[in-house]
Amino acid sequence: MTRFRAARFVRTVAIAAIILWSLAPIALGVVTSVSTQADVRAIPLHWLPDHVTMDPYRGLLGGTADIRAGGTVSETGAFAQAMWNSASITLISTLAILCVAISAGYAFARLRFPGRNVLFWVVVATAIIPVFTLVIALFQLLAEAGLIDRKLGLVLVFVSTSTPLAMWLVHNHVKELPTEPEEAALLDGCTRWQAFWHVVLPQMRSSIAALSAILVLSVWGEFLIPLLLTSTSASKPVAVLIPEYVGKYTTNYPLLAAAGVLALLPPAVVALVLNRHIRGMLSGSS
Amino acid sequence: MDRPNAASTNGIVLERVRKEFPGGIVAVRDISLEVHPSELLVLVGPSGCGKTTTLRMIAGLEAVTAGEIRIAGRLVTNLPPRHRNVAMIFQNYALYAHMNVRANMGFGLKMAGMPKREIRARVDQAAGILGLTDLLDRKPRQLSGGQRQRVAMGRAIVREPTAFLMDEPLSNLDAKLRLEMRAEIATIHRRIGAPTLYVTHDQTEAMTMGDRVAILRDGALEQIGTPLELYEQPANVFVAEFIGSPGMNLLPAKLDIDTFDDAWYARLGDSRLLIPPKARAALRPFAGHSVVLGLRPEDFMPSEHLRDSQSRIIQATVTRTESLGSESLAYLSINGIANSQPLLARLDRRTTIQKDTPILIGVDIDRLYFFDPTNGTTLK
Repeated sequence: MTRFRAARFVRTVAIAAIILWSLAPIALGVVTSVSTQADVRAIPLHWLPDHVTMDPYRGLLGGTADIRAGGTVSETGAFAQAMWNSASITLISTLAILCVAISAGYAFARLRFPGRNVLFWVVVATAIIPVFTLVIALFQLLAEAGLIDRKLGLVLVFVSTSTPLAMWLVHNHVKELPTEPEEAALLDGCTRWQAFWHVVLPQMRSSIAALSAILVLSVWGEFLIPLLLTSTSASKPVAVLIPEYVGKYTTNYPLLAAAGVLALLPPAVVALVLNRHIRGMLSGSS
Repeated sequence: MDRPNAASTNGIVLERVRKEFPGGIVAVRDISLEVHPSELLVLVGPSGCGKTTTLRMIAGLEAVTAGEIRIAGRLVTNLPPRHRNVAMIFQNYALYAHMNVRANMGFGLKMAGMPKREIRARVDQAAGILGLTDLLDRKPRQLSGGQRQRVAMGRAIVREPTAFLMDEPLSNLDAKLRLEMRAEIATIHRRIGAPTLYVTHDQTEAMTMGDRVAILRDGALEQIGTPLELYEQPANVFVAEFIGSPGMNLLPAKLDIDTFDDAWYARLGDSRLLIPPKARAALRPFAGHSVVLGLRPEDFMPSEHLRDSQSRIIQATVTRTESLGSESLAYLSINGIANSQPLLARLDRRTTIQKDTPILIGVDIDRLYFFDPTNGTTLK
């Protein structure tokens, strides 16, 4: 009994430590984002600000002159533009990856054609190549195609780098689905495509939701590739913009924190909404 | 074996249909058979004998390596499933999990472009027949196994297909429900009257449901006939052992001829059984040699019921007994044969038998079967 209690105590402490470890930076960010620069720099350190202010958020979304005076780069509308860039790149990339991965994963799982296995593993194998080894080639390729500093360029890169893994997940999921409902649909008068649309896709709803969430989170958080392939606010996503708020001589910490908090919101909402499906997929029961 | 006359029938006709899988595995070996219009033909055999593959080829879910398939006089060998107008009932029901019962049943009609009102009417009618009217708004996961099976049946019948294919439709149900559904499928089949090919590995199901039964083994057709024909006149040892519950006893026996009184005997250890004169012609080439003797477990009787009992009894020892309530099963070891395989006898429940005691058991000698020991075919 005592051993049981001791184990429970250790577990509780461990969980608490993990939660603290994960949430503390976020809490610190939120607190900083509603502080003044003076509060942040005060010595001794304040855990909570003396004056709660929304100025950093106003400054970010409005891009006021005060912020410039703080020594940071925040042109009017730059942050909102970056958020929009991130959102559109993430949305379009996710949709495109889903389209390609679901149809390819299904085809590899269900259709019989010569060279299927070889082709499948060749495609999947590309997922293990670290994208960093390809950046120079990618840059040249996109430069020649005139896609540097364009959202389309980023979308194409994300689609081609993320699709193999997504396709593999879909493939494995389809393999686990019973084939009989599809066959019943074929006998019920469906073409292969109709059976896929009316019978297979609805069965995959949960795993598609989970996959979408994973894709949204990973594309939204992409940093290195957009850093290399974008240069102006025309295409720069928020993940690349935020580090630019770190100045050479001085940094407006409340502004930086507010940008972080705002950039965190969309993926957090996606994760919360699709949480049930993600848990399902991770536990293999979707 | 039945030799179909192609295109002359509204049933299902297979002509020398063959299926080879990659790697050279032959699943189905040149099968020819015909399911007559309004007939329920049961395809039965041990697992892996190719019966489901045969069914799937007829449905169009599996490509045919060689041969032809006709349904209702139309060559369908290379048509996709949707153009064959057959309905199939799967072992695990294969319902559309995300649709309710009504949508499941009406899906085929919707795909065919039938007006909604007509679909509704047809689904309502089929639901009435199958007792599903109160369940039409439920999802498959809210149904019991038997109800799901009914929905699968309903989905098949609303389309009014030219043929029905059923792949072990009862094997996921418990014993009691299986009996009920067996009767129900037979009733529905009679009512609809479309040719139906029913696959099962269960010989009892085959015998009770089939107008005719086709027995498959290693991808080849062993015998096709009415249940009684298969039981009374098995073509070979495989059919003899497969049909009947329990199957036929098969024992090596030596043919002795007593020239003095012109009598033929099958010798089994210390016992000998008189062979009726009508069986002699086929056995002549084996005189003095061994054959395989077949005895159905139900063709034994207590020896005191016999006249001239000397040549109609087997001397044996009871090694095990099982009481089934309605009858008893006795496992016998025949005296005079070392390590003889047990002889199984079904006896009236009033017969007193005791383990480890000698027994004289009578045999109905008019119901002896003889098989060629080299290839297993019936000698008659």
